[in-house]
Amino acid sequence: MPTLPERIDPTQLARLGNLPIKARVIVQGALSGMHRASLHGSSVEFAEHKEYSPGDEMRHIDWKAYAKVDRYYVKRYEHESQLTIYLVLDGSASMAFAGDGISKIEYAGLTLAALAYLAIQQQDKVGLVATGDRAIETSVPPRARSTHLHDLLAVLDSVMVRGGKGDESPAAALRRIAELTRRKRALIVVASDLFDAEDETLAMLAQLRAQRHDVSVLHVLDPHETTFPYDGLTQFEALESTNKMLVNPIAIKRDYLARMDAFLTKCRGTLAAGGVDYHFTTTDRPLEETLLQLLIARTRLGPVRRVG
Amino acid sequence: MGFLAPLMLAGLAALAVPIGIHLIGRQRAKVVKFAALDFLLATKRRTARRLRLRERLLLIVRVVACLAVVLALAKPFTSCERKGPQVTRGPQAVVLVIDDSFASGYLVDDKPWLSRATTETRRILQQLGPEAEVAIVRTTEGADHPTELTRDHLRLRDQLIALEPSSRPADTTRALARAAQLLAASSHARKTVYLVSLLARSGIRPDDPPWGKDGPSFVTLDLRPQQMPNVAVTGLRVQAGPGAGTRGLAFDAEVANFSDAPAKLELSLSIADRVVARGLLDLAPNERRSKRFLASLPAGARASDASVSITGDALAVDDRRWVRASLRDEVRVLLVDGDPRTVRHDDELFYVEAALRPGDREDSGTQVRSITSEELSGIDPKAKGTANAIELENFDVIVLANVPAQSAERVNVIAQWVRAGGGILVAPGDQVDPAAYDRTMLPLMPQSLRDPIDTTWGAQPDDKDSRALRLVKWEADHPIFTPFSKSAPELADAKYFKISLLGPTTATADRKVLARFTNGAAAMVEGSIGSGRTILYTSTLDRDWNDLPIHPGFLPLMQQAMRHLARKHALFGETTHVVGSSVALPSGDLKKLEVRGPDGLGAAFEGDRLVGRSTVRFGRTDRPGIYKVTGTDQTGATHERDELGFVVNLDPHGSDLTPATAAELPASGTGSATTPADDSRRIELWHALAAALLLLLLAEGLLVQR
Repeated sequence: MPTLPERIDPTQLARLGNLPIKARVIVQGALSGMHRASLHGSSVEFAEHKEYSPGDEMRHIDWKAYAKVDRYYVKRYEHESQLTIYLVLDGSASMAFAGDGISKIEYAGLTLAALAYLAIQQQDKVGLVATGDRAIETSVPPRARSTHLHDLLAVLDSVMVRGGKGDESPAAALRRIAELTRRKRALIVVASDLFDAEDETLAMLAQLRAQRHDVSVLHVLDPHETTFPYDGLTQFEALESTNKMLVNPIAIKRDYLARMDAFLTKCRGTLAAGGVDYHFTTTDRPLEETLLQLLIARTRLGPVRRVG
Repeated sequence: MGFLAPLMLAGLAALAVPIGIHLIGRQRAKVVKFAALDFLLATKRRTARRLRLRERLLLIVRVVACLAVVLALAKPFTSCERKGPQVTRGPQAVVLVIDDSFASGYLVDDKPWLSRATTETRRILQQLGPEAEVAIVRTTEGADHPTELTRDHLRLRDQLIALEPSSRPADTTRALARAAQLLAASSHARKTVYLVSLLARSGIRPDDPPWGKDGPSFVTLDLRPQQMPNVAVTGLRVQAGPGAGTRGLAFDAEVANFSDAPAKLELSLSIADRVVARGLLDLAPNERRSKRFLASLPAGARASDASVSITGDALAVDDRRWVRASLRDEVRVLLVDGDPRTVRHDDELFYVEAALRPGDREDSGTQVRSITSEELSGIDPKAKGTANAIELENFDVIVLANVPAQSAERVNVIAQWVRAGGGILVAPGDQVDPAAYDRTMLPLMPQSLRDPIDTTWGAQPDDKDSRALRLVKWEADHPIFTPFSKSAPELADAKYFKISLLGPTTATADRKVLARFTNGAAAMVEGSIGSGRTILYTSTLDRDWNDLPIHPGFLPLMQQAMRHLARKHALFGETTHVVGSSVALPSGDLKKLEVRGPDGLGAAFEGDRLVGRSTVRFGRTDRPGIYKVTGTDQTGATHERDELGFVVNLDPHGSDLTPATAAELPASGTGSATTPADDSRRIELWHALAAALLLLLLAEGLLVQR
């Protein structure tokens, strides 16, 4: 894994100017030190050498290699077609939770913005669906134009500014994406806290993967949700409902952490079993690190790879 | 309940503090908007009830803790009726009189009453303080009493711990008298007797108060349960029971119900540790009834131990009574009347016959044939085969009562019979001529006779009694005198107006004076003739020379004399030995004699304690039951001597647990400076509150940690 010269604190990044600049900063931070990004545009790229065998095209023989090792090697190329990427942002109210740093929705939005920036740079088609409140569900169809990036980021910015609202899970949006991309494979990146009581989202993600889409999940949680650092008599109020609870956090901390751990294990296990690319992160983690994690995983899995 | 510092109760306002903290604490809770509330809710569903309970418990504990602090500062106290006596601490003289009679083994809540009594007595001893001079006196009859008061309370405490119910009844009056004696010797102004007793009336003699008006202060501890019903076997007699065959015996058990409720009992008779008969007996309240069992001794046994027991009650020790059952060996006595009269009570033999066969009963143990001195000619060899012939072999003892001197030939026949093992008792009288006796009768006599003396000769009628002689200095260990104590009034009160003096001794062996009169003259002399024995009594057997025949001692004296002369020991089954009494055992020719009691303890007599004595006295009859005797004869062979074995029973009067009334108890004396006892006492509660407070704080700490 490449090392970053300097890490960018998500809180400081959030204070920067508009979203396109933030996205560019993240991408630059992630890519500095990397030779190539793995989200390629439309091109023919060398992939690997293969020892020549009868039937291989002669034009693909690497003569320089022959000169060096005195053996015939055939150059193999990776051919990627134009990729369609759907970015799904969970905009439900639970994503508005922020412990000491930025909210989950801001963190997820910044990460998706960086991905969109990177994809448009490579002439891939990028669309956006923001879920949470069914009444004002935001959707941007996938386009590959450079001007589309500004439109997409503007929408994304408005969703982030609006903050989390509603209690709808990303499942419904994913179902619609599945219908839209029935004949074309797509890369679907979902950023969510997966606080879905009925586990619909997990089921829908597995279903998309079963339809041969590439699905990546960025599971975003706040550090306060994973460590539960509260003490003293505290009244907790739900973000997606009117539930309240007066409790001594120390008394229930162990139980809570055990349940959270079980939840994460379930998410990881269910998605891994369904072939979904799962990435867990917390909002105190540098954004470029999270972006890199996504990119490297994409490289390793080889999305929509065709070898020619 | 009251308070020594009631103003402190104002602190109850502090109870508002924990309640306020509880309520304010709820309002001061931080508010956090939390996304993962579902996880908290799931957690809380399981823990909410526990948390709520904990919060409430905390509130309660804190409130109660505040309450305990306030109450403890207010020093609450309560009063209760005093259970025990008020014991004043400090210099004083105290005697603790504790009832350790066999009745103290009465089970109260499955524990002997004595354990409660000793616990209470130890409490008093502790409260008296180290400066008190104390003695412990036991109420058991015949118990050893201390000789002085002591400050060694540890030793006294050990004495109390070691105390166990004895097997004797209580003699509370005597114990109290001894307590008063001990206190009288003390220089302390304050003198107190604490009586820890069942207060049974049987141990108290109201007409014999232990102290006068200036006696010590007297405090009784009433540890007696409300009801103390008791049923006891109070008597057991055995006699011939022809209805049960030739070896049959009749056992008459007397059972007493010392309670106010009727009792339905099951009795059982055991012979040689085997139950041979059972019976039922219904007793009305405070009733005493007899139950007769007919049984026969095991085949081949002449004597055996038998006991009658009843179903157990709270005082088990008196539910069984033992008896030594023997098939009687009758003594056959030939009474020779030297002065027969037609008026029955003037007859020389009237009193002897009555003594040997009281009531003319078949079971008297004696067969008597009375003849005149003339009819004694029937023993002559020439009378053999005639109707007047008398076979001496059919008799064990001959009594010559005021019989004139017999011919030398006839005396020779009698002497031969005596040498062969017979016994003869010679008593003089007005028909006896000492000179004639000297001529022919000496082979039968241990000592020759001289003329009688009349101590009342010439005396005025009023002086006759004062000039009469009396029996003194008898051999108390001799079998003849075993039924009598050393000062037995039944013998000593008899007056002798005329006695025969004695001359030189004869050729008889082992001559011994068994009793003497007040003037030193011999009253009874014993000697051996071959295998037989002879006893010379120096006064008459009727009332001509003395009035012994109308004294209670005459009957046992005559019966014992006949059995001794016949070499047949008294039937031990008929002798009632109570615990603590001394038992005389004939030593015979034994080299060693060993007695073993029911508890395995006993004593051995040998050497100087046995040789040369006709009887030995065994005094360690501390437990009721069967005492076995083994003897070692001159050849060194050791055998159990069944005929010497005996049984020891409880003194039945100790079984009556009827409580004495207050009037029957001795009154508290005025010779003490004790303050009157207070009927109630104050119990301060703040110690308990302080302890509760500590526990509450501990609980609060534990709850907070959870």
